[in-house]
Amino acid sequence: MIELLNIFIKSAFIENMALAYFLGMCSYLAVSKSVKTAFGLGLAVIFVLGITIPINWLINEYLLKETGMFGIDLTFLRFILFIAVIASMVQLVEMVVEKASPSLYNSLGIFLPLITVNCAILGGSLFMISKEYNFAQSFAFGIGSGFGWFLAIIAIAAIREKIRYSDVPAPLRGLGIAFLITGLMGMAFMGLMGIDPASITGH
Amino acid sequence: MKKLLKFIQKIEPDKEKSKLLHTIYDGLYTLVFSPNTTTKGGVHIRDGADLKRTMFFVVIAMQLAYLFGAFNIGHQHFLALGQYTEVLDGWHLKLIHGFIKLLPIFIISNVIGLGVEFVYAARRGHPIQEGYLVSGALIPLIMPPDIPLWMLTVAIIFAVIIGKEAFGGTGMNVFNVALLTRVFLFFAYPTYISGDSVWVSGLEGNVGEVYGWAHSLFDGLFGALGWEQFGAGGRQVVDSFTGATPLGLATHGGWSAVTEVYSTSDMWWGFIPGSIGETSKPFILIGALFLLVTKIASWRIMLSMLIGAALTALMMNGIGEPGSFAAVPWYYQFYMGSFFFAMVFMATDPVTAASTPKGKWIYGFLIGMIGMMIRVFNPAYPEGWMLAILFMNVFAPLIDYFILDSHIKKRLKRAK
Repeated sequence: MIELLNIFIKSAFIENMALAYFLGMCSYLAVSKSVKTAFGLGLAVIFVLGITIPINWLINEYLLKETGMFGIDLTFLRFILFIAVIASMVQLVEMVVEKASPSLYNSLGIFLPLITVNCAILGGSLFMISKEYNFAQSFAFGIGSGFGWFLAIIAIAAIREKIRYSDVPAPLRGLGIAFLITGLMGMAFMGLMGIDPASITGH
Repeated sequence: MKKLLKFIQKIEPDKEKSKLLHTIYDGLYTLVFSPNTTTKGGVHIRDGADLKRTMFFVVIAMQLAYLFGAFNIGHQHFLALGQYTEVLDGWHLKLIHGFIKLLPIFIISNVIGLGVEFVYAARRGHPIQEGYLVSGALIPLIMPPDIPLWMLTVAIIFAVIIGKEAFGGTGMNVFNVALLTRVFLFFAYPTYISGDSVWVSGLEGNVGEVYGWAHSLFDGLFGALGWEQFGAGGRQVVDSFTGATPLGLATHGGWSAVTEVYSTSDMWWGFIPGSIGETSKPFILIGALFLLVTKIASWRIMLSMLIGAALTALMMNGIGEPGSFAAVPWYYQFYMGSFFFAMVFMATDPVTAASTPKGKWIYGFLIGMIGMMIRVFNPAYPEGWMLAILFMNVFAPLIDYFILDSHIKKRLKRAK
């Protein structure tokens, strides 16, 4: 249990998807104009990451690997199958959001279906492979990295709301200053880099 | 005084002819002369304070740290040489050596920072904003004494342009400018701002050769007075002197390794190597008292940061193995490093901190917690406050957002 907690903390804070790896930047920059929409998108990303990574783990383990169902090495199909899983999950999220909160659906616009090609999501699945997690660990990793991305996007959204009335030089307004903020946030997150949560809990 | 004022008003440069000159004139003029009015009419606050005077109070609160910082540079320097090992022996030499080290850093910090500010103010056509007064005074205090001045210049230009002017100047910045300067140096030139050998001036190489013309100038004066002199130098560093800070020692050997080298009273009073202004706890706390009495710094942030750090250290005492850094008694954690300096002058920065009262409690508490965790558990960084405060700068607007949001919801519910 504590090991799973370590993975969660590590993927949420220390190896933050958005601010340490700079993954998922397109929707991160585009949807962070207000906290409300950023919050919705962040929740969607947590959900998609938390679901797809364990499913992709199952697919990788039981279908694609040589030890799997077919007995041959099918790992070259990884990208296609992973993306297919992600796309179907995003479709599910889209339908739920459209039904449950039409206003959020409208304000997210094209960026909700675009979660499919959000590199943080595919990146999460591929990290899961390269870190050789088991099923439970990959679930913790998915939720953790989703939570980290969620924190990053609502933090930058709050900052962008705060500086909306600031006297930012004209050429920097909008995306320019968002890039600068992202870089500075990454610098602030570097403080946590190198901490090993296992050293805290002793596992 | 009136004549002086008239004379100064007479030499005001023409705004149309030379924008930069006028901006510089205006900045210096308002620093010394305005405001001479207090609020009148139906408001309840009648005060002559404005942003510039508020900022100046913070600078005043730092003065004891400056004085002690200068003395301690010299004290550590002579300790390394094995001369004047008693605190007050050769105090004039220590003070002068400290000022010779500190003054260039101070001048560079203010000239470069204000220079950038002046250029921006002139180009963008607004009066000079006074925010850099505090940053310019804070930056020298968080530097090691031998920091190369060109690095400092690069870092300050980066911090002022990217951290502040890009966001629209004073009062708009999201990240603390002084901390950005230090973090930039920390990541760009790590060997000059971390490790054991940078915190004592003149530790590298043959000490005597670093004495320059300024030292010989004072030697003449001290010779005439019949006091001790710097002399020709050329001394070697005492073998047993390593220059390691208490935090550096604690990382490897726990509390016992620290007390072997430094006594607790030395650590409390500040006779230890470290950044220039961070070492002396009593003098920083006097500054804190001044800021609290004048109500410039937020007591909520200070108190909650203290509580957060103390609780975290207490918890670490519970899980730490004996002899490790985590097992250092929680009250001794405050004797080492720059906790008080960060608490008083960095975390309370009203621009980058959370601005709602409840938010300040959360903000301070989390800084205390994260800073202590970085200090103890992150092997890469010996001290955590700088990064913890920057980390919470990221989340301060978010904390405020949720606090305001919950207030709005509460009111709406009441209205129904």
